Amino acid sequence: MLQHAILILLLPLASAVVIALFLRKQGAIASWLSTGVAGAIAAISIILLQHGERFESSVEWLRFGTFSVSLGIKYDDLAALMLFIVGFVGFLIHLFSLGYMHDDQARARFFGGLSIFMFSMIGIVLADNLFMIFIFWELVGFSSWLLINHYHEKQSAADASKKAFIVNRVGDFGFLLGIIMCYWANGTVNFTELGQNHVFSTAVPLLLFCGAMGKSAQMPLQVWLPDAMEGPTPVSALIHAATMVAAGIFMLCRINVLMVPQALEVIMWIGTVTAVYAALCAIVQRDIKKVLAYSTLSQLGYMVAAFGLGSIALEHGEHKMVIAAGVGAAMFHLTTHAFFKALMFLGSGSVIHGCHHEQDIFKMGGLRKKMPITFVTFSIGVLAIIGFPWLAGFFSKDAILYLAMEKNTAVFAVLAFTAVLTSFYMVRLWKITFLGEARSDEAKHAHESGLVMTLPLIILAVLSIFGATGWFGLGLYPKLAGSIAGLIPEAHGAAHTTILLVSLAVMTIGGGAALFFYKSAATDTLEEKFRFGFSMLTGLKESFDKVYDYYVAKVQQRFAMVLNFLEQIVLAGAIIRGLAGFAGLVGYGARAFYTGSLQAYAYWFLLGAALLWAYAAGIF
Amino acid sequence: MADTLFLILSVLTVATALLVVVNKNAVNAAMFLLLSLVGMAGLFVLLDAPLLAFVLILVYAGAVVALFLFIIMLLDTTPGSFKAFKPMTITASALGAALLALGLWSLTARAVLPQAPASVPVPTMKNYAEQLFTTYLLPVQVVGFMLLIAMLGVIVLSKKFAVTEETK
Amino acid sequence: MIPLLATAPAYGLPSYLFVSALLFAIGFFGVLLRKNTLVIYMCLELMLLASTLALVAFSKFNGTLDGNVFVFFILTIAAAEVAVGLAIIVALFRKRHTVQVEELNQLKH
Repeated sequence: MLQHAILILLLPLASAVVIALFLRKQGAIASWLSTGVAGAIAAISIILLQHGERFESSVEWLRFGTFSVSLGIKYDDLAALMLFIVGFVGFLIHLFSLGYMHDDQARARFFGGLSIFMFSMIGIVLADNLFMIFIFWELVGFSSWLLINHYHEKQSAADASKKAFIVNRVGDFGFLLGIIMCYWANGTVNFTELGQNHVFSTAVPLLLFCGAMGKSAQMPLQVWLPDAMEGPTPVSALIHAATMVAAGIFMLCRINVLMVPQALEVIMWIGTVTAVYAALCAIVQRDIKKVLAYSTLSQLGYMVAAFGLGSIALEHGEHKMVIAAGVGAAMFHLTTHAFFKALMFLGSGSVIHGCHHEQDIFKMGGLRKKMPITFVTFSIGVLAIIGFPWLAGFFSKDAILYLAMEKNTAVFAVLAFTAVLTSFYMVRLWKITFLGEARSDEAKHAHESGLVMTLPLIILAVLSIFGATGWFGLGLYPKLAGSIAGLIPEAHGAAHTTILLVSLAVMTIGGGAALFFYKSAATDTLEEKFRFGFSMLTGLKESFDKVYDYYVAKVQQRFAMVLNFLEQIVLAGAIIRGLAGFAGLVGYGARAFYTGSLQAYAYWFLLGAALLWAYAAGIF
Repeated sequence: MADTLFLILSVLTVATALLVVVNKNAVNAAMFLLLSLVGMAGLFVLLDAPLLAFVLILVYAGAVVALFLFIIMLLDTTPGSFKAFKPMTITASALGAALLALGLWSLTARAVLPQAPASVPVPTMKNYAEQLFTTYLLPVQVVGFMLLIAMLGVIVLSKKFAVTEETK
Repeated sequence: MIPLLATAPAYGLPSYLFVSALLFAIGFFGVLLRKNTLVIYMCLELMLLASTLALVAFSKFNGTLDGNVFVFFILTIAAAEVAVGLAIIVALFRKRHTVQVEELNQLKH
């Protein structure tokens, strides 16, 4: 089984290398190779899951005295679940890309980037220590940069990819500090060893959370995710919805043993604030992908908040046990979110492809009749995210709301309000895009996409329905997650009824309001009716970017110029050239000995002889 | 008897050596060198090495100094080219020489030297030959080789370069 | 001067060594003092002579023959060296038309 795990890690790397070296111009072959490898990864991940064996293995890579870095594979329930998500959803997206990127010139580069991304992501999933995760963390950041930058002729795409990488890097700085501090405090960074024995510290989990802040786009580092929509839609689906941004949550679950109540509180509030902020921003977006991006931000905030809510005590008859409900709820929502968000992103890709690359929702409309399969699957995705009963999102969202209700009422209130907003903007998106009449030529002549693009949509729709629990045991999640499924907080009795009522209420209020308020027109109804509110919400999004711009331009640039001056004058000038000049001076001095006079040389001989004589005579 | 002889000869040697150094005329200097050699030969005789004394006169005085004289007369043609010694030069050189002498003297002063000559018979030609052809055979051969090379070298050095003659 | 003026019956080894040292010093004095290359060379020969005296003296007082034999070799070498050296000086004279050591300073920086 270890060989399977190693194979699953190295296959995409091999695919990427082959594409990079040999298949630069052969886009078609590259796409088949990459998709085939993705299929193999999905198959092997299912095999590993079915086999049921859990193992761990590592090999030492570097050693400096007592400090050693090792690379290893830790395949436990958490890794098994995540591997299935990455592999299966990744394969479906590869399949979709075969159709979506069919006419692209740089297809080979795209699929090479996808392969490298799969390699890096699987590396994060299988890593057994923090150093190894960091290595693959950075690799994932690189793949993200590469893929966002796919349309590199567009300046906006180049800027967006740089922004994503740099913001990630800021988070990674904290992450690295956390790893170093963890090593310094505990002597190890291996997850299993940390689980057995670790030192109590508030700084370490908070610093490690910085990495999750960067990668999962929490406040204040959330600015890169909306801009990352410049990349092709399959990239947005795979990286910025289903897998990479979930890596932050995954990492948090891995280091759950290090968490302390103070750190968890901070994490919880950051997640909550991110959720509500993103939901507010999503209401006023015009671009279909941007809406979905803010939706992703909001759902990630949910996951982080769930993780931050921490553990609860359960009573089973006589004895009480404490379960890590935060981990359970977060991973549950991660899984279901991967399914329905990938579905919706691919659906939006299908829409964009059908409307000949039109992305503004106010120029669409009436696609219900033109693209039926996309319409049905997208609707299932929308229903899942707003928590329609018995669909995947219903169960996972309920788990989080129940956990919030038990632990912290303020957070519960905010999260419930965010759920209202979620329903609101998702139904707005659905209505304006699909219902009503076509509002532009592209929408009038839209056509359904081919099988290679609609098949993944159908499969993901099925998963969005059956991917959680329920359906009288047909739910897939317990089979995928193993022991992690047991960590899901389940409400009983009165709490169960309350949560059920709350979730139904938020769904109806939000969805109904959007349905009745927005007209399927060419302009944003909110903009027309409540101009002030609309501009306030738009400003909310801009504010962060403005602050960062100011900081970079005024503060950071000036500091960099000071450093540059120091480097030119002091380092390069005084120290380096100074030392060289000193050597030159010594040379000049030595030149003075060459007088050309024979007798001068004879005097020097005498001096040498005198010194030797003095030495021999014992004077020194 | 030997003592007075030693005294006279050593004074002769040293005095003429001094005169070699201070003389303005190069030919005079060569003559005084000759006299110094004579004194030296006498000292050798006192040291029971008459063969060496002969060889000294033959080789040194006869060949080397003669060669010197030839070259001096060949090259040093301008009579008025002598400049007076500067006092600084004299002092500096004298000091340097004195320092050297002091150094050498201190070496010998601290050494444990045999006081009386060892009582062995006076060496004869036969003894020399014995040593030269057994213990010191290799040096003899090497010196012979070196003389060959020196001869070749001198011939090459004193050739006027045919190239420069033709190109003119 | 003490060894020379002593009224001891024999002028021993130290006296000879003293003479040798004196000769050597005088030769060195000449090398440092004179400007004429040829005279400098003659003073060099003086120094060589001084060392032969020392060798023979040691040989006599130790009762061995090694010093004397060594003097043989020194004489040979000195002769060859003088020949080659003077050839060099002649070649140099042809180039520079002088034997004054002050003017032979082309190796100056």
